[in-house]
Amino acid sequence: MTAVLRRDVLLGLLAGGALAGCALVPAAAPGRAVAVAPGVYMVPGSGGVADEHNLGRIGNAGFIVGETGVVAIDTGTSYLHGVALLAAIRQTTELPVKLALITHTRPEFLFGGAAFRERGIPIRMHSRTARLMASRCETCLKALRQQVGEPPMSGTTMYKADQEFETSHRVDLIGRPVQVLYFGHSSGPGDIAVFDERSGALFAGGLLDERRIPDIQDSDLEGWKRALKALSAMRVGTVVPGHGGAASSTAIAAVEGYLAQLEARVRALVVAGASLLGVADEAELPDYESWDQYDVIHRRNASVAFLRVERELMFK
Amino acid sequence: MTSDLTPRRRTLQGLAALAALPAATSWAAIGGLPSAEHRDSSPEWERLSGKLFGGKPLIHGQGVVQLFVPLRAAYGASVPVKVVSKLPQRPELHVRKMYVVVDKNPSQLAMVLDLTTEVGQADFETRLRVDEYSHVRVVSELSNGELHTDSRYVKTSGGCSAPPNRESLHLIGRTLLKVAGELRLEQPVQADVTVLHPNDTGFELNQVTVMYIPPHFVRSIAVSYAGRKVFDADLDFSVSENPTLRFNFVPHSKGELRAEVTDSKDARFFGTLAVG
Repeated sequence: MTAVLRRDVLLGLLAGGALAGCALVPAAAPGRAVAVAPGVYMVPGSGGVADEHNLGRIGNAGFIVGETGVVAIDTGTSYLHGVALLAAIRQTTELPVKLALITHTRPEFLFGGAAFRERGIPIRMHSRTARLMASRCETCLKALRQQVGEPPMSGTTMYKADQEFETSHRVDLIGRPVQVLYFGHSSGPGDIAVFDERSGALFAGGLLDERRIPDIQDSDLEGWKRALKALSAMRVGTVVPGHGGAASSTAIAAVEGYLAQLEARVRALVVAGASLLGVADEAELPDYESWDQYDVIHRRNASVAFLRVERELMFK
Repeated sequence: MTSDLTPRRRTLQGLAALAALPAATSWAAIGGLPSAEHRDSSPEWERLSGKLFGGKPLIHGQGVVQLFVPLRAAYGASVPVKVVSKLPQRPELHVRKMYVVVDKNPSQLAMVLDLTTEVGQADFETRLRVDEYSHVRVVSELSNGELHTDSRYVKTSGGCSAPPNRESLHLIGRTLLKVAGELRLEQPVQADVTVLHPNDTGFELNQVTVMYIPPHFVRSIAVSYAGRKVFDADLDFSVSENPTLRFNFVPHSKGELRAEVTDSKDARFFGTLAVG
């Protein structure tokens, strides 16, 4: 009881402090909704890698409040995280949550789904996201439990999407037009972005991380580059990335720059006959050293990209 | 109890600035990943080594064989592993067999190499699937019967690996040989053999049918040069997609480098390369 009261007071203070400091860098208060545009909210994740301290809540979530309801974007990493996100929405608006959209197939965005579903909120994702989830997320969930421990994961289960789709479309459920953008296989096979027409705010999901190394494991690099080009051509206002603080549309060029450097460096290593053994060390990219997960995701990206280029050159 | 714990933990999480609260120490025990020293054994290894070597002593240290593996943030679907032998392959004393093991994999024995002196220098490089934090081990059996071993504890990252590439199934079994570096007679020459193959484990779900994809993997690669055996490798799905081996061979004359491959569905493939 005391703990709960204290939490509210302290988190309230922290959130206030963060807003006073810089409205676009809400990282100081993970878990609280922060307005990034009128009626558009981001619930920042902690960044980093899932562990027992951040409870695996490393990815951003958010929601758009219309005239008649709310669309949630991503559901958090666990049942309890989903419950917390719904509470954050409830603190902002009394309007009902009509839909939850899953942007991409990573644990920190989809395992809160059970909390939404038990309240009758349907979960919608691309059919390829649903298929990738079905094929591997049992294993991801097991790994996540090992990383963060059992108590924060209690009640978390695998589930199936309530609604699947194949293409871009408009969501007309909340009295405010929201676009679901699908560019084909990009950062992941079924990755989407969610665009609020009224404010220009973009929830970029797996397509964009801010000052964090984007993960290329599920990607089709050419498709990803095409998707980023398409995003650059839009009138994007605030960007809510999958990980990292809210940003402007310059986040698009930043990710494009990283992917270009990664590819160029790795291709040169393959051509030079390098061994996979040394690739992570030899593919250092000093420009991105300060990005979150440079030590983990970038090293892995280098290996993944190396294997792809090697295969392409060997068997073409 | 649990419902009481959760909000308190969330409070602490919010209070990142006040890191030194006494309650924080209790977190570490809750989650967290396993850890071990490179030289440690494991229950899995105790069982397997008993079966393979029947209690014969294994000599540790890196005097005869040394294992190289990237120690952090390796890509679990394809962890490069290099074995370096500290003795040349001479008739009087050489490495006869090599065993490569991943303790925590469902199939622990990834590869067994049956070597001749034609390899010249018993160094190998391959890529393994490492499902969880695990020891990777090598055991070298010398022609005098001694068993030498080295091990590394590998921390992989990315528990949600992307599935193997299955876009060019018509190319399955395509076997490529490549010689690296300059060719000199009677000297060990480095070469690569790679087989295009998904090396399916049998533990992966088909994304469309959500049924398990049956195991389908390369079982053996036999490499010869100018009609003489260089080595035979028995392998399984602990070896990564598109199995590859970097090895040495000693050319005594011009000849053909040849790799004969079988997979778990009894398909046979081969690749050749004219050398010299």
